[in-house]
Amino acid sequence: MKSYLAIAVPERAPRARILATLAAMLPRVGVADDGAFVCDLRGTERLLGTPIRVARNAVNACAASGSTRCSGGLGTTPFVARVAALRTATGTVREIAAGDERAFLDPLPLDVLPLDPKVIEELSLLGVRRIGEFLALPRGSVSDRFGHAVAIAYALATGERVEDVAITTPRRRIRAKRIWDDPVDSRERLIFALRAAADELAEALRHDGLAALRIQLVLEREELLPLRLERSLLPPSAESAAIVRSLRWGLEEITTLGLVTSATLEITAVEPARGRQIGLFAPDGAHAEEAIAVAQFLRTKLGPATVLQPRVVDAEARLPERAAEWEEVVR
Amino acid sequence: MGAAAAGTAGTTALADAIASVEGRFGTHVLAHGDRAERRATERHIQTDSSLDALAPGLSSGAPIAFIGTGSTGKVALAHRAAAGAQRDGGTVLWIDPTATFDPLLAARSGVDLSRLIVVRAKTRDAVLLAAGAALRSDGFRLAVVDTGSPLAPCVARIDDLAPLLPIVRSSPAALLVISDTRPMRLAIPTFTVARVAWRARFGRTAGWTSLVAERALFHFAALGAESHDLGMQSALLEKTG
Repeated sequence: MKSYLAIAVPERAPRARILATLAAMLPRVGVADDGAFVCDLRGTERLLGTPIRVARNAVNACAASGSTRCSGGLGTTPFVARVAALRTATGTVREIAAGDERAFLDPLPLDVLPLDPKVIEELSLLGVRRIGEFLALPRGSVSDRFGHAVAIAYALATGERVEDVAITTPRRRIRAKRIWDDPVDSRERLIFALRAAADELAEALRHDGLAALRIQLVLEREELLPLRLERSLLPPSAESAAIVRSLRWGLEEITTLGLVTSATLEITAVEPARGRQIGLFAPDGAHAEEAIAVAQFLRTKLGPATVLQPRVVDAEARLPERAAEWEEVVR
Repeated sequence: MGAAAAGTAGTTALADAIASVEGRFGTHVLAHGDRAERRATERHIQTDSSLDALAPGLSSGAPIAFIGTGSTGKVALAHRAAAGAQRDGGTVLWIDPTATFDPLLAARSGVDLSRLIVVRAKTRDAVLLAAGAALRSDGFRLAVVDTGSPLAPCVARIDDLAPLLPIVRSSPAALLVISDTRPMRLAIPTFTVARVAWRARFGRTAGWTSLVAERALFHFAALGAESHDLGMQSALLEKTG
């Protein structure tokens, strides 16, 4: 049976945290146009319990995550669930059972529906002020007289149109911070300290099957402005060594490091980690991408026609210079 | 709370101690026991020649220099080492400031050119940068620095490579330096390559035999056609009486 849960939260609620809480609890969580969270509960009953139980748990979890003024609504469509959640006391859940939707919606004013205020005013001049009165109008004449948008609102109220729950994935911040009582004064010590932070981030990336595409390092320094270092990892990698190597190259370009009191390392862009095939009897081949990354770095530093790869084109050539060709490893 | 603070202080002190050791002796010089054990078995670079019997051999985290005058076979031996380093799929970085690397000769010695990157560094700093980047990354099994012939304009001498030694000690790659001259200020394990005999055919020089580290004999054909491992000198003497 179709069952949707809507959680209405006040405007100033910690929305990101609530979304993360709901996404951790339920498989399909989206955010509706009015800001309410809508969860599709289909298929969850066997694992999580009855919808009303899930709804109560969700409301409690949202309250625990910082929004004490949230309420829940259960319905057979996302629209009914949202309206129920908005018209329920804080901390409680209201369930609109299948078949009771009209009884619940009919006495409600028209501004519950997604209608333009001018249309509501026009309808009120015609004596139509409640949803029940609106739904009593013939469907065809509503469409003809008021257009497509009002016909959609009509279909929402009758349950003929069911909104999709577009799954919204909470933005996950993968970052690690280190604070030192004694400022770090050398590049090597800083890189050493960052290695542990990079290990932490790499573990988080591997857990989620992601690879870092861009990283950002912010260093707080004594008597100097904070230093922000942004690096791109090409190819994207979930390897701690790749993150540390990129940071090392970035830090080597900074002439005055100063006394670093804290460092925040964050993955700012990710992409799904790519699988790769390595030779069964060639374990070192797994590091070929790192070799290319080094070649790319050297190409940037040393300029063109410096980092090369030879290729034999004619082993029997009469002139030795025609026997081989040289190509840039990275163009 | 107190225990947590004490734990953090202990971790910081340990981190400081490790950082100081690494600052002095190179990054990755300290490793977890399990990793160190695993790496010890993977460290040695096998060349399937008498070079493997010489101590210290070619291995990850260790520098070595092939020293000898011109045309003694140093580069051909380095090709063998590169081929050995590529055996398990490894990549080799060859720093060639004098642009004398011969791809055909390398390919004939068994080097897989698709897993070889040649850097024509034009200054001493560029040589150090390229070698340092290779040794610090996990992408290479061997970094070769060919300082070139004394006849060519000198970019980097073997003594200039001192900053690489702390880096190589902790690297998963080996560092091989090819030089015509002995280091004056640098302590680096060395294989001297000395020519001990010429071989002539029909009145023309057809090749020569070199003694490596005063123990292993190799025969090199002229014009880089081929090289042969003749075995250890002592074994050869026993065999021939």
